[in-house]
Amino acid sequence: MHAVGALESGLCRYVLISYGQSARSGNSMMRMLYHMTRNDDAVYGHFGAAGGYALAARRAMHEFGTGPETWKQIAVGQRAWANRNPRAIMADQELTEESYMASKYMIEPFRLFDNCLMNDGGRAVILTSVERARDLRHPVVSIMGLGQHNPSSDLATADFLAGPTGAKRAGEAAFAMAGISRNDIDACQIYDCFTYTVEITLQDYGFFGPGEGKDWFSGGTIAPGGRMPVNTSGGQLSEAYYMGLTPLSEAVMQLMGRCGKRQLGPETSTKSPGIILCSDNGGILQAHACYILRRI
Amino acid sequence: MADMTKPVPQLNADNRPFWEGCREHRLKIPKCSSCGYLRWPPAFLCPKCLSAENEWINACGTGRVYTYAVYHIAPYPAFKESLPYVVAMVTLEEGPRMMTNIIDCDPAGIYCEMPVEVSWDDITEEISIPRFRPLQ
Repeated sequence: MHAVGALESGLCRYVLISYGQSARSGNSMMRMLYHMTRNDDAVYGHFGAAGGYALAARRAMHEFGTGPETWKQIAVGQRAWANRNPRAIMADQELTEESYMASKYMIEPFRLFDNCLMNDGGRAVILTSVERARDLRHPVVSIMGLGQHNPSSDLATADFLAGPTGAKRAGEAAFAMAGISRNDIDACQIYDCFTYTVEITLQDYGFFGPGEGKDWFSGGTIAPGGRMPVNTSGGQLSEAYYMGLTPLSEAVMQLMGRCGKRQLGPETSTKSPGIILCSDNGGILQAHACYILRRI
Repeated sequence: MADMTKPVPQLNADNRPFWEGCREHRLKIPKCSSCGYLRWPPAFLCPKCLSAENEWINACGTGRVYTYAVYHIAPYPAFKESLPYVVAMVTLEEGPRMMTNIIDCDPAGIYCEMPVEVSWDDITEEISIPRFRPLQ
């Protein structure tokens, strides 16, 4: 959103959005997570993002009956995409529902494969005007709609852990700006720090009602060949964690047609994408951004 | 990072009355003197009416589990000896929710909305930590 403002106001002609971290080899992600909860909550052993999202997911299990039967389909569906992405950390490792269920609990209710990856690496995206982009060699991908909503309260006063999260109002704003409906969306790239994040985000966007995710995801809905591809690089769960740039860069690459074996369209028995919905998340569901991109 | 001791409360202007209350086994929460709102976590201003005037009331010490997480790994090495341990948000009888631990029961038997009561853990002469156990 800031990049769009800087371009529209004429402050600059190009904006580079980048992310790079030695999250694994430098141990910097664990350090960041350590400081995230290093207050009185640490007295009880509460830790990082996984601790907070586990509390959210458990409340959601209570309120609308979600759980591993839903989340395993997200983990397995995304892994099938990663298996088509040579850049994905999990490119060569298959995941079945059985191996998901057999994996160890980390911070319960999350099993190992409910958690995103922790990796070194980086991603970057360049924004410019549509006019300038028309002179470049790749197809133009433009922003149709943007929305942001940040409930932002302390975990103790958070009433949004089981939804509606900021995704609800952010999604409504983005759809209103784009002037389209969910039926126009060809694929989604959803911020997926944990499997539950994908479920609650799509639920709040209105793709299904509370607790209906288990049925909605069943039968490979989000996997290659499915009717609503989600996180087609493998996402943060199975490609790599680059914060919001994992979903954003993949949406742009898919719309440009630069995704090789995982390219949406005939290659993966899916619809060639014209419009892709993306999300980004901050804190423990405390900040949310939604954006809708299209190829022109 | 390599802390081998469990984190202890860091007293500041906001939370000092709470932890001093804990030392006497009293669960104190701030109440806005202007609008009556009970707030948690402790903070300088009332989040409802922005008044800086508040008093501390004694909570009765019972509540219900709002949500919980069972740790099978120890991100803080010092908690390794406690595995598996349960971090929970408990909704106090008076309304506010606070982070705590659920103890004295099998983690598999815990459920959201389970009635619980405070159980004091005197970790030093100066510091007592309020954890919760199933209501007896």
